[in-house]
Amino acid sequence: MPTLPLWAVWVIKAAVIYGALLGVAALMSLAERKVSAWIQYRIGPNRVGPFGLLQPLADGVKFIFKEELIPDGANPFLFRIAPALAALPAMLAIAVIPFAGEVELFGQRTNLSVTDLPISSLYVLAVGGLGIYGIILGGWSSNSKYSLLGGLRAAAQMVSYELSLILSILAVVALSGSLDLRVIADAQQAPDVLWNVARQPLAFLLFVVCMFAETNRHPFDFAESEPELVGGFHTEYSSMRFALFFLGEYCAMTVMSCLATVLFLGGGAIPFWPEAPWWAALACFLAKMSAFLFLYLWVRWTLPRFRFDQLMNLGWKVMLPLALLNLFATAALIALEVY
Amino acid sequence: MVIVKRRELSLAEKLYLPEIGRALSLSLRAMFRKRVTRQYPEEPLPTNEVTRGQPRLVVKDDGNIACVSCGMCEVACPAYAITIDGGETDRAIEREPVRFDIDMLRCILCGFCEEACPKDAIFMSNELELADFSRQALVYDIEKLKRPRSALQKRIDYVYRLNDRWRKPSSTR
Repeated sequence: MPTLPLWAVWVIKAAVIYGALLGVAALMSLAERKVSAWIQYRIGPNRVGPFGLLQPLADGVKFIFKEELIPDGANPFLFRIAPALAALPAMLAIAVIPFAGEVELFGQRTNLSVTDLPISSLYVLAVGGLGIYGIILGGWSSNSKYSLLGGLRAAAQMVSYELSLILSILAVVALSGSLDLRVIADAQQAPDVLWNVARQPLAFLLFVVCMFAETNRHPFDFAESEPELVGGFHTEYSSMRFALFFLGEYCAMTVMSCLATVLFLGGGAIPFWPEAPWWAALACFLAKMSAFLFLYLWVRWTLPRFRFDQLMNLGWKVMLPLALLNLFATAALIALEVY
Repeated sequence: MVIVKRRELSLAEKLYLPEIGRALSLSLRAMFRKRVTRQYPEEPLPTNEVTRGQPRLVVKDDGNIACVSCGMCEVACPAYAITIDGGETDRAIEREPVRFDIDMLRCILCGFCEEACPKDAIFMSNELELADFSRQALVYDIEKLKRPRSALQKRIDYVYRLNDRWRKPSSTR
């Protein structure tokens, strides 16, 4: 195999990982319909390709050829840019997810992630948090009551749950002593160390709940809430811009699942097989990620939506104190050298 | 005035999580239940002799249709779907239709033609599907309506069973 320069390897890695992310997002749109069908004793889309696997392609073509409407009185610039703002942050955040350890790629030794940052967990949260701007702007610029309400709710929800999310992650960070996702993942790979899900069960629980709220998924999808707000922030959107919101949502779900895998399930760690080759670790990582993605769908088709005041109560009166308590307890246990 | 006494929730219910776990296990089990979807074009609706599908003309065992173009069904038809032009034959049964059209777009599948027919020549089949690209293509002529007696036998037997209480024992069959 020819030896490629380092930058070429980076470009290849980035292209493959972004391609995979978009592929996962496309498959999620199919999986969503399939899982909903299974839970309701139905079969789901199965006409386009084997098991309906080409359905996302057909949907994509349909979205592209649909007419695009911009409502009267909408702010055209913000209206046009909002879907991109909603989709982009999730795609950026995937860059620092450590999928697997060092691999030999075209004669270069390189880590299997687009890039490694010493503050990668901070980066994921910072960039992922930007996604809400797309939703708020989309809601506000549509010049529609429903959209505005959806955007407002998204903002309020974001503020309430981002706090608990970060606090729950902070407990894990305190445990590993590093903000680097790769260090956090590697710390759980040692054979005598339990995964963080066992060492930090409360943080895991809080993270999973906040994960749903962060990505605006059931039972916290107040920004959309189709019965009350007829689609919320994307009421007025059509064509590919509408699809972009969904692309963003699915990408955000994928990133959050990756994050949960890295933080709490030890990344690609396989129990009782510490010297697993990189491809096994990668497969294991993807399996864990898929489990979280399935959880998203599973919960969506099981639980009803909260009421908005319940959401706020849960966020401020339950999740936040619990997260603070958990962080405090973790810090105390580390100080007492129990961990 | 009615005072509704709400049940006090137990601690486990107030905590949400056990109940969420219960709900999740319920929906997970649902995923492995038998599917209720019928894949329609591949798996057609099951039919039997009671199914009142589109009317069809009986072809006797000698190859001629049983219709003698008496026009009873034409008169009975509430939707004016049937058009008959009669003609002569050289056979013992002297009459047969030269034209027998049923406009399937008008037909309401009521079965009056089947009841009206004195010669057991028209019966409701179990054929239900009706789709084409023009209205004219759905006006069925004799060739499209012809069915061998064997194909309609179940329905014929069923109608005879239904009508047996009014039929004289000597009637032909």
